[in-house]
Amino acid sequence: MAQEERTTQSIFTDVEDRTSSEEINKWERTTRLWRETLREHWGLLTDELSVKLSMLVVALFVLVAIFAPWIATNPPLQRQYQTEDGILIAKWVEPSILGGNSEYILGTTAQGFDIFSQLVYGTRAALLVGLIAAVFTAGIGTMVGLVAGYYGGTVDDALMRIVDFLYGMPLLPTVIILVALLGPSLWNIILAVIILQWRATARVIRSQALSLRERPFVKAAQVAGASDWHIISRHLAPNVLPLSFLYGSFAIAWAILTEAGVSFIGLGDPNTVSWGTMLQASRAYSALQFGAWWWFVPPGVCIGLLVISGFLIGRGYEEITNPKLQ
Amino acid sequence: MGKASFVIRRILQLGVTFWAVGTVLFFMFRLMPGDPTSFIISPQMTPEAREQVIASYGLDEPLYVQYVKFLQNALTLDFGQSFQAKAPVQEVIMTYLPNTLVLMLTAFAIAYFFGITLGVLSGWYRGSRFERSTVITALVARSVPSFWVGLMVLWVFGAGFGVIPMSGMSGLGSDTQSFWQMVFSVDFLRHLAAPALVLAYYFMGYPLLIMRSSMLEVLSEDFVDVCRAKGLKERTIMFRHAARNALLPIVTAAAIALGYAVGGSVLIETVFAWPGIGREMVRAVLRRDFPVAQGTFMVLAATIIILNFVADLVYGYLDPRVTYD
Amino acid sequence: MSVLEVENLEVYYETEEGPVQAVDDVSFSLEEGENLGIVGESGCGKTTLAKAIIGILPDAGYVNRGQIRFDGDDLTEMTDAQRRRLKWEEISMIAQSAMNSLDPVYTIREQITEAIEAHRPGTGRVESTEIVTEMFELVGLDPDRADDYPHQFSGGMRQRAMIAMALALEPSLVLADEPTTALDVIMQDQILKRVNRIQEEINSSMLVITHDVSVVAETCDRVLVMYAGKVAEEGPVEEIFNQPYHPYTIGLKRAFPNIRMPDQDLLSIRGYPPELVDPPEGCRFAERCPMATNRCYEEEPEAHHINGLRSYCHYADKIDEELRPRADDAETWKQTEAARAQTQTQQPGMGDD
Repeated sequence: MAQEERTTQSIFTDVEDRTSSEEINKWERTTRLWRETLREHWGLLTDELSVKLSMLVVALFVLVAIFAPWIATNPPLQRQYQTEDGILIAKWVEPSILGGNSEYILGTTAQGFDIFSQLVYGTRAALLVGLIAAVFTAGIGTMVGLVAGYYGGTVDDALMRIVDFLYGMPLLPTVIILVALLGPSLWNIILAVIILQWRATARVIRSQALSLRERPFVKAAQVAGASDWHIISRHLAPNVLPLSFLYGSFAIAWAILTEAGVSFIGLGDPNTVSWGTMLQASRAYSALQFGAWWWFVPPGVCIGLLVISGFLIGRGYEEITNPKLQ
Repeated sequence: MGKASFVIRRILQLGVTFWAVGTVLFFMFRLMPGDPTSFIISPQMTPEAREQVIASYGLDEPLYVQYVKFLQNALTLDFGQSFQAKAPVQEVIMTYLPNTLVLMLTAFAIAYFFGITLGVLSGWYRGSRFERSTVITALVARSVPSFWVGLMVLWVFGAGFGVIPMSGMSGLGSDTQSFWQMVFSVDFLRHLAAPALVLAYYFMGYPLLIMRSSMLEVLSEDFVDVCRAKGLKERTIMFRHAARNALLPIVTAAAIALGYAVGGSVLIETVFAWPGIGREMVRAVLRRDFPVAQGTFMVLAATIIILNFVADLVYGYLDPRVTYD
Repeated sequence: MSVLEVENLEVYYETEEGPVQAVDDVSFSLEEGENLGIVGESGCGKTTLAKAIIGILPDAGYVNRGQIRFDGDDLTEMTDAQRRRLKWEEISMIAQSAMNSLDPVYTIREQITEAIEAHRPGTGRVESTEIVTEMFELVGLDPDRADDYPHQFSGGMRQRAMIAMALALEPSLVLADEPTTALDVIMQDQILKRVNRIQEEINSSMLVITHDVSVVAETCDRVLVMYAGKVAEEGPVEEIFNQPYHPYTIGLKRAFPNIRMPDQDLLSIRGYPPELVDPPEGCRFAERCPMATNRCYEEEPEAHHINGLRSYCHYADKIDEELRPRADDAETWKQTEAARAQTQTQQPGMGDD
């Protein structure tokens, strides 16, 4: 609550200063407002140990993703055991960390791919899916929510019926069908996730916008003749920013889980390596029955670590924005 | 009076949502690039049979006629013929849906029983080590992909110790007459245990976390103090008053979550080769058996839509304060 | 014989910054059939005191020292089970907020019956129905509406229902925490009169906790004025309000409209009560007291018994000759240290919750 008060107050100043200030300063003040909100929340967020650890984990994964070509010891989709004329000698290699006599830290897959390198490149796919999906779901959801909540009436009704309809679609089956029809690629998976996932953000942001538009600072701006777009972007948006971030961080987690699931089913991108496709391959080659756990345990652990970090950061953020949970 | 009109309005909305889902599904399959008939007609058919099927589906007619026909058929729950099974889609659905329901409801009952109980306790004993460990367990349950947990369970208990079967719903040689006879056989329970428990573990996190935060909210209310002042036993306050009030958001959440759970059944059924509707949908998609894909998808969507509706109605009965304006 | 004796009671709250000394060295006693008002600003420890007496302190709160004797038995020494038996049967409460003190998912009858059955197991349906009907009539509610849910009642009706529940077991002590804050003045008056009448009928004592001086004047025999966790002054209602011997009571009295002197300016005590994590030495009111001397900042005041009052002011003996004329002048209150620090912000000093 204290959070809200403070943000509100700075917006009040914004309104009161209007008459005395120049047009150029407006933009400066808006950015300052956004910056202050962000900094304040960041400070509160990093207070908690679990959040700090989660951020560390995410940072680590980001580093691995960026420097994948230098960390990975082999190209992820290059068969390590091939005769000169390209014939594969199917061969399992035990991981070197278990004393296996090879250069492969986590051994190779039944197809002869280096597992460790696949794991490293899989980080790229996971973060790509997570971040792009999160930015778009939070972005689209926030815009739709603000517009619906601010205008109300028919606009609100129409947009909310779309959201209701999307809530009637089962997430994974819909993504599966969309990907099956559009063709299996990482981009189509991301697209399918975005199409379905903005619904949650839109619903929450809308109800926030509904209450915000009745607040005095919005009324004041309206009376002062500010345009709708001005009010939405300068007065409403900064106030719902915390919620957008919250839903964005949850969206990262959901997108990664969905990609893993779709890939596991066999609709993953055949030209990229993701943790989901690794699990799918390990299952297809019966790694379970052979007890080759170094093939299917690491990808699951990576997904779990990344997703739980996302959830913990989200929860930490939720506790800041909703003091009742503390 | 308010209640009746509320129910009627919701039923109308329900119809609109069904229509929207059906329409989107129809156009999704028809407007995709490529030959539309390839979605409906198996390539292995003879030319005569092909003509016949094209005509029977009205594929030689304009799109809007096809659309009207699709809606008419959908109303009678007719989604056409399966290419693979050479049987009506309806029949395929009726074979697999009960299996999914048995698995889901078992997992759900276990998950909500333990999730709610642990949520109540962790809200009541906030700040304790017990609370912290349950919250972390719940978060882990929600974060680690359930299909991977399934793989681990199969690896350790199936391939490793050999105490659970690796796949399916019943072992070789088990021969039961009816569905219900099968459900209550020991062999079936042995097959059910692993997927149901893995799913239950995955589902549990949600009610647990909701129940906990709902409890925290309720415990800060004045009537809890009055209950304590009344000299009621701690257990009475915890369950009869605090949990009963905290339960309200859970009921809606549970009905909605059950809908999504059925939708999410896809992965667990695939891992454990459980012959359910989710796995059947995936197989249909992979084999391009589009009538079955359409039909099974409609069933999954319908579960969600109907349970959302039920959640709204049930909430009114549980919370005497709800008004239907 | 005293129903309730509180002796040197200290109630603390555990916080990250250290224990908050919410109630500090409070002593008083309450006779049978007597009504004692406890007044003070919000945060002065009066609600904590009530919660400690009835035994519903939150997890972080605990009795650090002192005794709470009920009918001669020390409540702080009792086991949970022993205490539970006394609750509601002997000590009941009328909770602060009429809106939220009833469980929304049960009917009023269910909630009253629950209290009856928790303490008198085996009470039949007929008998508990009788009690509910009787109590509803006593508080002026239609017994036919006992099967309504709390949300179907108006604020005033809910408060009456709460009172009916509090008195259903005819307890010998009732703690009323801001019993009428949520109500309008007319309703307030009606309900207070009714409570007093019922109370006389069942011969119970009452502790009325409020920040509203007029409620105390109307219902109580004696008053205990609390400030920052400590007793400031205590004595019979008439004396306390006519001729108080503590500057805080004088200020508090002047902060509310007085029927007998309608033209008198209302004044506000500037500043805020001190933080109780690290309370100041000396008199806790010193910073906001216009007549404070160095002694007030250094030395903790002892009890002074004057005129049947118990005042914790160093200068209680001299109040009559020197201080009262000054304290009665509204100008004086604008010269406190807290006021000087606050001249820019212009915040009112008396917050009412």
